[in-house]
Amino acid sequence: MIDIRQAFSLALGSIGSAKMRSALTMLGIIIGVAAVVANVSIGVSFNQFFTDELDTLGSNFIIIYSQDVNIFYDSELELIRNTPGVEGASAFNQQMAEVSYLSGTKQIDVQGVSSDAQQISNLEVEVGNFFTDKDKYTAVLGQEVADGKFDQEVAVKNYLDITFRRQDGTTVTQKFRVKGILTGEDNAFVSGGPDRDATIYIPVATINELLNVTDYGGFSANTEDSESVQAVSDEIDKRLARQLGVSARDLDNADAKPYRIFNQAEIIERLDQLADSLTILITIIATVALLVGSIGIMNIMLVTVAERTREIGLLKSLGYTRKDILILFMLESVILGIIGGILGALIGLVGSFIVETYIDIPRVFPLSLIFLGIAISFVVGLVAGIYPASRAAKLDPVEALRHG
Amino acid sequence: MMVIRLYEGNSQLNDDTVMDVVIDIQNIRKSYLLGDMEVPILHGINLLVKKGEFVAIMGPSGSGKSTLMNMIGCLDRPTDGNVMLMGKDTRSISDNDLAELRGFEIGFVFQNFNLIPRLSAYENVLLPTYSNSKVNLDNEERARDLLETVGLGDRLDHKPTELSGGQRQRVAIARSLINDPSLILADEPTGNLDTKTSTEVMDIFSSLHKGGCTIVMITHDPEMEKYADRVVHIRDGYIENN
Repeated sequence: MIDIRQAFSLALGSIGSAKMRSALTMLGIIIGVAAVVANVSIGVSFNQFFTDELDTLGSNFIIIYSQDVNIFYDSELELIRNTPGVEGASAFNQQMAEVSYLSGTKQIDVQGVSSDAQQISNLEVEVGNFFTDKDKYTAVLGQEVADGKFDQEVAVKNYLDITFRRQDGTTVTQKFRVKGILTGEDNAFVSGGPDRDATIYIPVATINELLNVTDYGGFSANTEDSESVQAVSDEIDKRLARQLGVSARDLDNADAKPYRIFNQAEIIERLDQLADSLTILITIIATVALLVGSIGIMNIMLVTVAERTREIGLLKSLGYTRKDILILFMLESVILGIIGGILGALIGLVGSFIVETYIDIPRVFPLSLIFLGIAISFVVGLVAGIYPASRAAKLDPVEALRHG
Repeated sequence: MMVIRLYEGNSQLNDDTVMDVVIDIQNIRKSYLLGDMEVPILHGINLLVKKGEFVAIMGPSGSGKSTLMNMIGCLDRPTDGNVMLMGKDTRSISDNDLAELRGFEIGFVFQNFNLIPRLSAYENVLLPTYSNSKVNLDNEERARDLLETVGLGDRLDHKPTELSGGQRQRVAIARSLINDPSLILADEPTGNLDTKTSTEVMDIFSSLHKGGCTIVMITHDPEMEKYADRVVHIRDGYIENN
């Protein structure tokens, strides 16, 4: 039985004697493993990014909105507030309004919300305070509205003039006192909702009074814990549908309802599905690369066996058994694979680091990925080596010695 | 029982004990299949090599001497007949055991040296021990000593390409001795060397022989006969004199 340490050094020597060829052979494995490692790493990082993003949008939130008017009133808000499991609820209405500060006038998204919205949507105030339900002509500004929209920075206690358009075509202008300014944040990637930094928040009762309406565009609510979000959301959906006269058999038919409802859990689930399908796609590509890589190793090992036929004959004459020869060539194949795997894992690591930095998502790299990469390349090397090595082992010593 | 068969096959063995016999070839035949034609190469050959002998097997090309060497070296098995190596019946042992027997009992020296180009002289000498190693030998010390003995004590780390033909063959001889085998089997060891180097190499064989080594050498060069105790002529698969 061959001494395994010596076999290792013999195999390494053989690989090292044809460096260019060995490097080219490894390329397939390197690409395959790098693809797997980078893909998984970026996937994990995206997941982290989405989770972080959703956390900034609020915790355990449920959003209900309607494209139609005259659907939601205070009674629906009460219904949501009274649904078991709901911690807070806010109605909202919105309009792109003309906002004037000093000599400047801009079109800015004005959101009417109730004070609960601060906690539901995780609106962090940097300067000043959020408005209470008692406040009337009071506004809280997004960071960008405060320091980027107008020629001069808007500070707390300054006044803005906001001009709304009513449904009958008339306009109404009202002076608002700035009570707070929100903490700036990275652009919400997954919110689908308004850009908070570019929004002005005012009390919903005020916007309704100015617009001369009593209905709302929608509601936001949250629950105490994340486990109950889906269940509470379903319960609100059921109650709202009944209240709004949706027939019982249409309860599961979203199109039959005059509103849409979604929650944090659903968004996470949908993002996970998106991530999963991306992962499947790249895994298929990586598998093809690894397959090509293993064919490359098998090919070069067959060439090696053919080139070293006489050497194999010599080893047999020196007393090496079939098993010894098998081990030697399997080792060579596995080493080729593993070196490729290590390089691939490193390239994948660096690649995912660069990509994650470039698209500005958290850099998460599970160290187990390196072991995954090496394990994959070990298996590839092993499988690719079986046929060439067994061919070498089976060579007839007399024939082999006579070769070339 | 083995003794009886030996006496039957080889009458000259009368005065010797079985332990003194290194190789005992008993009536071996070998034929190869060429298509569906059976081509006989060896026709019932008997050969006995005793411990300490230097036997030259001579014959023109095509005489079957290489085939005979493969039989002696246990690289191939006869179609019929038996090869006894150090008293062991090679018919009944597995390929693995046969490989091990080669590793321990036979030291090969080839015409084209068969050194591994990637390895140094020292590593080439050690190569057999990676698979079969005698526990009572310090391989690394022995490898250095053997290279010293063949005059390459200062060439340990040289690769074969950095050595002359004669030096390469001397590395090969050192390699053949590393496991202290019972038999050195040399196949045209001077076939690729010029006259001067040939003499140097043959002098090494001579001194090994004087030191008690058993040597079987295949050659077609009549010049080499003078080094051997005994010359066996083979022609068309038959031994002409023995």
